[in-house]
Parts: sequence; C-alpha cells; structure tokens
Amino acid sequence: MKRHWLFTLIPAVVGAIIVLLVNLGVGIPWTRVEGSINPRLTIAIAATMSTWGFTVGIVLSTILITVAQLWSWRIRTQTKLEDQKSQASAERREFLQRLDHELKNPLTALRAGLANFSSIDSPPSGSQIKILNSIEEQAIRLSRLTADLRKISELENRPLDQYPLDIGQLLEEVFELIQDQPVARQRKLNLNIPQAPRPLPRLMGDWDLLILAFYNLLDNALKFTKPNDAIDLRAREEGEFVSVEIADTGPGIQAEDLPHLWEALYRGDAGRNVAGSGLGLALVKAIVERHEGSIDLDSHPGQGTSVTVRLPIRDD
Amino acid sequence: MNAQADNPKILLVDDEAAITENLAPFLTRAGFTVSVANDGVIALELISSYQPDLLVLDVLMPRLDGRAVLRRLRQENNTVPIILLTQVGESVERAMALEEGADDYLNKPFDPHELVARIRAVLRRAQPGVQPLTTAQQLVSGPLMLDRTSQRVYLNQKELTLTPKATMLLAYLMTHPDELMTRDRLLDAVWGWDYPAGTRTVDTRIAELRRAIGDDSTEPRFIETVPGQGYRFVASVTSHTESNR
Repeated sequence: MKRHWLFTLIPAVVGAIIVLLVNLGVGIPWTRVEGSINPRLTIAIAATMSTWGFTVGIVLSTILITVAQLWSWRIRTQTKLEDQKSQASAERREFLQRLDHELKNPLTALRAGLANFSSIDSPPSGSQIKILNSIEEQAIRLSRLTADLRKISELENRPLDQYPLDIGQLLEEVFELIQDQPVARQRKLNLNIPQAPRPLPRLMGDWDLLILAFYNLLDNALKFTKPNDAIDLRAREEGEFVSVEIADTGPGIQAEDLPHLWEALYRGDAGRNVAGSGLGLALVKAIVERHEGSIDLDSHPGQGTSVTVRLPIRDD
Repeated sequence: MNAQADNPKILLVDDEAAITENLAPFLTRAGFTVSVANDGVIALELISSYQPDLLVLDVLMPRLDGRAVLRRLRQENNTVPIILLTQVGESVERAMALEEGADDYLNKPFDPHELVARIRAVLRRAQPGVQPLTTAQQLVSGPLMLDRTSQRVYLNQKELTLTPKATMLLAYLMTHPDELMTRDRLLDAVWGWDYPAGTRTVDTRIAELRRAIGDDSTEPRFIETVPGQGYRFVASVTSHTESNR
C-alpha cells in the first residue's frame, strides 16, 4: 500500500540518468562543433533534457500515484462490502433460526387446540367445521414453513454424505422424477447428457441432496412456464467443473428481482401466486454451496430463464 | 377427567403452558391418564411418585432440559418409555436422542394425532423391565445383526456393504418392528427433510437394503411393502448389549 510513494522518485531517477549519460561522455551528436565537444552547449542541452525529464517524471508520478490510490481504495471498498454482505447473511440466518424457534411452540399449541375440537363432547356445526378446517390448513402451512427453515439451517451445518457419483445418472433420475408431475406432460421436456467423446466425469457429492436441488430447479421451471413451453436439462464438462443447465422458454424474471432470488422468503411479483414456501431457491443455493459449486441465473423477460449449476469434478 | 384406572398413565413434560393446556385434554380424550410437569426437575420428582407408563418430554426447558432427564433416567436403569419433543430439529441431534435412549421423537410443531399414534406404538412395543430396542447396542433379527456403535451390518456373520443412509434406515426400521412406517416418516427420521419426490428416495434405499440382505419383496423375510402406505419390518427383533466376540 505504501509502495506507490516510490513513484515520486521517478523524476529524480530520470534526471540522474540523463546527467549521468552526459557525464559519461556519450555526448549528444549535435553538441559537437567541428569534431570537438562544445561544453556550453552540452550543459545547456543536458539541463533542458533534465528539465523535461523532471517534468515528465512529475506527471508520470502523479498519474501513477492517483491510479494506485484509486486501486487500493476500490479493493478496500470491495472487501468492506463483502464483509458487510457475509455479516448480513449470517445475521439473516440467525434471525431465521430464532424465528423458527419462536414459531414452533405456539404452533404446537395451536394444533393441539384445534385437535381438541374434533374430540370434544359438543362437536362444532357444519359452518364452524369449515372455519376450523381453514384455520388448521393455515397452521399446517406455517408448520411446513418452519420445517423448511429448519432444513436450510441444517444444510448449512450438518456433515454431507459424500460419495463419488455419476452425475449423468443422477440427472436422468431427476428427469424421470419430475415427469411424475401431471403438469410436466404439458411442457416440452428435453434431457441432454453427453455420452461422446466420453461420459461426464464423476463428482463427489451427496446423492439425495443433489437430487433435491435439481428437482427444485426443474420444479420451479414447471411452475413458472405455461403449456407448450420448453424446459431443457443439459449437462457438459467445462474445465474443472460439470456444468448443469436448466433452461426454459417461460416469461423470464424481471431484472429488479434477480439479485434477491436466492434469499430465503423472497418472492418477486411473478411468484406471488405460485404455490411454495419461498425457500426453494435458497435451499438449492445452500446445497450447491455445500458442494463447493456455484450457481448462476440468466433471464430475459419475455424469452426465458436459464440456471447454471457448476459442480467441481472430484473423485477421491 | 373421567380417566379409567387401567388407562395408560402419561407424564407430559413441557414448560410451555399453552402446549400442556391444549395437549393434556386431547391426550385424555384419546384414552390416557395425563399428568403435567413444567420442567425436568419436577418431572424427575413426579416419576417416582406417579409411576407413569410413558413420558412425553420436551427437550428445551429451564432448570433441567429433556435430554438431561433422559440421560439421568437411563443411567439409573429406568426404562420408562420416552418420546422426545425436539425442536432444535438437527438430524444429528435427533440421532443422538435415540442413542441416548429415547424410544421415539417428534419434531415440533407436530400433528397431535401423530403423537397419539406414536404413544400407542411405543406402549405396544415396551415390555416392563426389558431394555427398549432403541437403547440396544446390537439389534438382532434371525441371521441379521446391526451393530449401532460401529454402524456395521452383518448377515450370517458376514459384513454387508451399505451406505450410511441405508444403515440408518435399517436401524430405524429394526428399532420399530411391526410398525407401519410411511415414506414421509422415514424421510423425516432418516433424512431429516421431506419433499414431493423424496418418497422415491426412500424406495431407492429400501431396494438397496433388500438387495443387500437378500430379501425378496414378493415374499419378504424382513421388510414388507404396505401398498400405498409404506413399509414395515416384519421379523421379530431382539436387543443385545454384550459385545460381539
């Protein structure tokens, strides 16, 4: 960080080199008058050149110092931002855990209270039953939310069941699973897993969790597309990674929603009427990150969305 | 309360009044005699005087928490059946609860009807004075033996190669013999989560288990398929605590 002050020495060094050159008698051809050196002219020219050298040096130093300052300032802001970001996500996680905790006891009591209605001596009437059922439905929905919150916090901490796995086979299984959904019949689903020149390399991973992650991504694609839309699941080797892409011809995602998609409980406008807890993508992200992979999303409103998961190739 | 003298006696231990106030009447109507304790210390005092047939025990409580109560009872060789109400919910934590000698556990918030079903199943399984399967070091069913400490499985004294998930699944089935296990319950107990297609995951591991232990699904010796519902470990299971060899 302090090294860039050395640039201030540049003018002095340039000046010194020129004076040295002159003194060494290398001379400058046009200082020779009739074959002999004209000392006055030599000194005058040397002085002019030193001045120029000095000026150029000062300009150079100023530019270099400014650039160096800006660079270190940028790096500092970047690290600060990253720190803030990771702190914020840790705080959010802790908050969700606490929320989960605080929801559990009241929900247990609520569900026990509701269960009491079905077994009391004067059972509720038809219209009361309808109201009670609706309350119970919402209590179950909240219970599911706490279960999903638990899953995410668990995923971030618990050890993985990692084994060498055939990612092609895994994707084939997910592809088969998703077709059990009736809505899948109204989409054009394509699977593309390379066999030539060689099959995909093996990965280290938790089979069940990766199935869960890819299932969620395909499930999302199903939810946000309409009949006759296409959904492609394709994989390929990409350097040290296997890249798996899930692409669809759905409505795409608005740019303002993109940065928040991976946050727990975030829902964009398009997602408000879609069933789900709002934790699916956060769960996917947690799973991919536990596998030291990365996940990227590219979307063009009106055209479609593609999600790319990169998992490191390892077979140890 | 119109409790009958021969109704099983349940001690419900939870510090949250809203829970005990709602759960106790529900359990009473389900045919149990219920007593309530608000923390672990009171629970321990009540156990000797009330002599319950089963404890429904919350984990997080002031003074003495549920796991401490469980440990203390088991150290004193008290084999009273215990169902833990966990809320930390970590799968590691749950596995630990079973190792420490809980007969079963439920994650809060739970369906109260599910609690009643679990209480009945545990009471059916429990025999006075006999060590519960969940605390056994080794589970034996005919030629099949599962060592829970080393997490190894033997068939006719020959060790089988199983994935950890399949071993955990077998251990859960063997500690709950003759009990119908829905795929959802197995997912929750062994995997710690469920999702729409997760039930297939269970089927995959059951198939792996059957292959390894040489069980024919059409004529099962150990694991029976209950169509449309789940699985059941049909062979009888005994516990061994002495070490093998």
